[in-house]
Order: sequence, then C-alpha cells, then structure tokens
Amino acid sequence: MTLIQERPGGGAAIVAEPITEIVPGPRPHGWVKFITSTDHKQIGLNYLVTSFVAFLVSGLMAEMVRTQLIAPNNNFIGPNLYNQLATMHGTIMLFAFGGPFAFGLANYILPLQIGAPDMAFPRFNNLSYWLYLGGLLLMLISFLTNDGAAEFGWFSYAPLSEAIHSPGPGVDMWLLGIVLTGFSGIFTAVNVITTTFTLRAPGMVMFRMPIFVWNELVTLFLVLLVFPVLAAAMVLLWCDRHLGTSFYNPNGGGQPILYLDLFWFFGHPEVYILALPYFGVATEVISTFSKKPVFGYKGMIAATLAIAGLSMGVWAHHMYTTGAVLLPFFAAMTLLIAVPTGIKFFNWIGTMWQGVLTLNTAMLFAIGFLVIFLCGGITGVMLAQPPLDFQLHNTYFLVAHFHYVLVGTTVFCAFASIYYWFPKYTGRLLDETLGKISFAIMFIGTNLTYFPMHDLGLRGMPRRVFTYASNAGWTFLNELSSIGAYILGIGVLFTVINIFKSLRNGKIAGDNPWDGQTLEWATSSPPPEHNFEVLPPIRSERPLWDANHPDQLTEVGH
Amino acid sequence: MRVEMRLCLAAGLFLGIVCTIYWFTSNEDAGTAMLLFSFAAYALLGAYLFLQWRRRKGIPRPEDNDDAEISDGEGEVGFFPSASVWPAGIGLGAVILAVGLTYGTWYIVLGLILVFGSIIGFVVEAEAREEGPDDPGMPIAPRETNPPVAHMSVPSTHQPQP
Repeated sequence: MTLIQERPGGGAAIVAEPITEIVPGPRPHGWVKFITSTDHKQIGLNYLVTSFVAFLVSGLMAEMVRTQLIAPNNNFIGPNLYNQLATMHGTIMLFAFGGPFAFGLANYILPLQIGAPDMAFPRFNNLSYWLYLGGLLLMLISFLTNDGAAEFGWFSYAPLSEAIHSPGPGVDMWLLGIVLTGFSGIFTAVNVITTTFTLRAPGMVMFRMPIFVWNELVTLFLVLLVFPVLAAAMVLLWCDRHLGTSFYNPNGGGQPILYLDLFWFFGHPEVYILALPYFGVATEVISTFSKKPVFGYKGMIAATLAIAGLSMGVWAHHMYTTGAVLLPFFAAMTLLIAVPTGIKFFNWIGTMWQGVLTLNTAMLFAIGFLVIFLCGGITGVMLAQPPLDFQLHNTYFLVAHFHYVLVGTTVFCAFASIYYWFPKYTGRLLDETLGKISFAIMFIGTNLTYFPMHDLGLRGMPRRVFTYASNAGWTFLNELSSIGAYILGIGVLFTVINIFKSLRNGKIAGDNPWDGQTLEWATSSPPPEHNFEVLPPIRSERPLWDANHPDQLTEVGH
Repeated sequence: MRVEMRLCLAAGLFLGIVCTIYWFTSNEDAGTAMLLFSFAAYALLGAYLFLQWRRRKGIPRPEDNDDAEISDGEGEVGFFPSASVWPAGIGLGAVILAVGLTYGTWYIVLGLILVFGSIIGFVVEAEAREEGPDDPGMPIAPRETNPPVAHMSVPSTHQPQP
C-alpha cells in the first residue's frame, strides 16, 4: 500500500532500472477504484466526465429557457420554473462545468506535462473531487424540494436572496452547494500549485513548462485568492437567512452593496478562472498542429500574469449602475486587460504563421475559439466604458457579450481539449468526420444563438424576463436565437455520440498520435500508474519534439 | 525555487500597490480589506519560499537547473499513498452536514460525526504509512509477488519514433 517513488542513482548510463518501489496492497477495481483512487489520472477523469455531464444537463436547461422565449407571451414553463432554470443554468455552467472541467484537465494533464509521478497530495485531491460532486448534487437535488431550486439568478443578489424574499430549502442547498464547490476549488489550487512548484522533472525549469501548465498555475493562484471570499460571502448570507444577522439586510443596518463587493471580487476573477486554462488548451493545440513552438513564449506567460493581476482590480465593473463605485479606477483597469489579451491573440496567430497547419477537429475548435472569443472581447471593451454600460447593462447585449466570451473560451476549448487529449485518456482516437460535422454545426449554432442577442439588447430587451409582448418587435430575433440554440445542441450531440462510438470502435491511437511536443505524449496511452517509463532530456519547452526531431531542435531564448 | 519565489513576491507587491491606490482613491472598506488580505496571502507565500531558498544557500534543485539530466533527480521523490476511502467519507459527511444546515435537524450531528471521524481516519492512515513498509502493522505482500507497476527508467536519450 505504501509507495515510495525513487529515481536511480549513478550516472546517466543506467538503462531501464525500475525506480518505483511499490509495496502492494489489494488493488481496487470498478466502483471501489472510482471511490477510493488517489491516482491523479482517475481523479482527473472523474472531474472531466462529471463536469461534462453537468454541461449537458445545464445545456438542457438552457434549451428549455430558449424554448420559453421562442414566442411572445409564451407559457411553456411559466415564470417560476423559468427563473429556476435560468439560475441553475448559470450556476452549473460556472461552478460545475467551467471551473471543474479545467481542474480535471489540471489533474490529468498537468502532472504529465511537467514529468511528475502524481499530484503532490493525492488523497487531498480525491477529497476535492468529492466536495465538488457533493456540491453539484446538492444543487441538482434542490429542484426536488417544495419550493423548487433557487430563482434569483446565479449572482443571488442580497436582499433578494434573503429569507424574506426567497424562502425555502432550495436556496440554502444552492448556497451550501456553492460553498462545497468553492472548497473543492481551494483544495485543488493548493494541490496544483504545490505540484508545479515541487514535483517537476529535473531540467523542467519554470520557463520550460508548457503554456498550459503556466496558465493553470496562474488560474489556481487566482482561485486561491477569490474562492475564500465567495465562501465567506455565502456563509454570511446563510447567517442572514438562519441566524438573524443583518450583514446584507438594510433593515438591520446591513449593506446590500457589501454583498455585491464580495460577490464580484470573486465573480470577475472567476471569469478569468474560466478563461485562462482554456487559453492554455488553445495554445497547446495551435502549437502542436502548426508544428511550431509557441511564438513569444515568455510574452505569452507575461500576458497571462498581467491578465490575472489586472483581473484582481476590476470587480466593480459589474456594479457601474449601482452608482456606488469608483468609475475611473475600474474603467481604466478593465480597458487595460485588453492589452495582454491582444498580445495573446498576436502570439496565437504568430504561432500559426508559416507553420505546417493540420486542420483537424481539435485545431478547428481552437480556431473557432479565436473567432468567437474575439467578438466577445470586443463587446467587452465596449461595455468597460461607463457611458455605454449604463445604457446596455441590463439588456440582452450583456447576455450576448458574456455568452460570446464563455462559449468561445470554455465550450470551444473544452471541446478542443476533448478531441486533442481523448487519445491520451483512452488510447483511441475520436472520429474526425463526426468531429468536423460537430464543429461546423456548433459554430453556426453559436453565432446564430448569440449574435441576434446583441441587436435585441440594442432594441431594449431587458435580461432575466421570462416573456415579452408581441408588439415589442423582439419576436423574430428571439426565434432566430432559439433556433440557433437547438442547432448548437445538435452539434454537441454529435460529439457525445462520437465519444460513445470511439470508446469502443475508435482507431488505436498509439502513444503520440499528433507528433506532440510536450511530455504527456512521451508515455503510453493511457499512461501507467506513476506515469513515465522513459523521460527524454528536457532542454526546451518542447522536450519530446527535440527528442523526436533532432534535426529541428527548438531554439532557446526566442 | 527562485522563479517561484519571485512570482509570489511580485504578485504580493502588485496587490499591495493596487490596494494602496484603491484605498486612497476610493476610501471604500470592503474592497480595500479584500485586496489587503490578498496582498498578505502572497507576501506570506513569497516569504516562505524566500526562507526555503535561503536554506538551500542558492544551490538549485534539479528542476531549477537548466542543464540537469533526468538522473540528477535520483533518490526519493515523494510519498504517494494509494487508494483511500477517507476522502469520500469526508465528502459524504460534508453533504449530509449541508443538508442538516438546510433543514436544521439531526443530520447536522450525523454529518459532523462523519466528517470528523473521516478526518481522524485520514490522519491516522497517513501516520501509519509514514512509518514505512517496516511498520509491522502494515499489510505487506511478500516481495516476490510485487506486480511490476510504475517503472521509470532513465536513458539519457529518448528513442526517436519511427
């Protein structure tokens, strides 16, 4: 049961000496393995599968929301269920899909990419998965309580979320579910940061780590700062609801604006927590399928750090319209973020420039991400300016903006990661034809769903309404948007079918199907326990490429 | 070690500067407090790494050395416990505790018992393991039956793939 990982002594000439000493106990299988495993790969897969299921459930909620909005004065699901579904769609996408999917990638891929045998705290790692699953289940079960799930929006502004306005156990389960997923995030952050700082392979200095590792590291730096604030905000809200305190309740001398401050201090970095790991995925995919090193490696890292740093100082741009924030400070900080993001775009294009492009599904999703995220980023710069924001804040323009940002980064890069790393998880390739069909349908669906929302916002349609009048002039655009949502859903289904089909019948991938550059492709697919049998010498940020292509060594110091 | 240290110290410094600017321009308490503690978090982490770095007297670890061979990392890498049921116990206890906090019933007691029981199990298990395979209380299989799991060999060059 005990396992001491050792590396052999002596000179470099030693070959094939087993360096891991394992004193075996019984090796668990099946459900017992699923529940008790401390292997980072098993936990990573648990995360990935669970969060993908959460994505599908939450997507189904979104389809119901869009069905409700397809016609004016519609009564398909009614106002209460509409609010519940809209709330839970947002909550699950943000807390149970976007973040945890990235944590799953961090669990599975990050130790492989830095040549580590496992995560630094394997059992702690398992614990964070269970807290995440518990939080997700609590949120879902809340639909079965008497008053249904929470229905105040995923931001749960106080005093709307106080006991007087939102009674019922569903709200408490929602709130505690958030606390549990929050703790899960904090534990993952501790684990990943320690792993990256202490378990790298010899020669893997910080400035040779793949960009994906850097982005996960910086993301989890942010998690460590802001998830405790979220948990604190939620605990204070629980105290208000149950213990009669008045932190957010103006009747008792509390301040609702405090809730906004606490929540958005978490909420804005959260957007980058959802984006940065996926930027890393896109970087890996683009670099691999261009057969080039990342253009401007250090610039990319600097941009990631700059985005993360600036994101700590922009939380109140969600609160312009409260009139209680310092507009120039937050507007300036927000506009500044466009600069490092622009650097990233420049470098992604620079990586593709003069590369030998392979346009397979993963690469297509990465390029689709570039296009869609660019649109979202530009509307973001528009909304950062207070005069425009005051006009657009509570309209569908904002819904369009953040869906362009989050669908572009989180969903498209998550799908790119599925197509890119599926061979590593299972040893089999996903079907390329189905994948390309899936990408095409999803790309069309995304644009058809969210682009009309810009115009809806400019025509004055407010967010969070469950229906609208037929003479408001919003009918046609809403129809377009709903039809787009169905198309998007069909595109996702193609990938789901593809996964089930390829699990059994996919082409055998081999260790390194993509001619990859980073260390996760240097081991078998799926990797053995404790990951590596052979490590190539690490002399640049793409050690495997250097080992496989001695004639095209990576130039260091570009 | 030095890069990690600089990273954390720079994050702390940046947050400290933002906190100062924010305090003098906005005079708003909540944001200032949060930024102040963010600064403290990374200053603390950076200071710890600084002490670790000083303790090493500037000798780089193999993973900080540009020219390190894979075999330079010889010796024990770390202690990696295999399967454990206690994390799942803590998770289940936390969920039951959350249900208790919602409905305010004896679920709280059950949840607390499960959480703290599992934490004790978690810690005891770790202590038993840290005493290593020589600990007579451990269920150790005979040497001969060891399945060959997790080999790691270190040829200095990687075989190019055909």
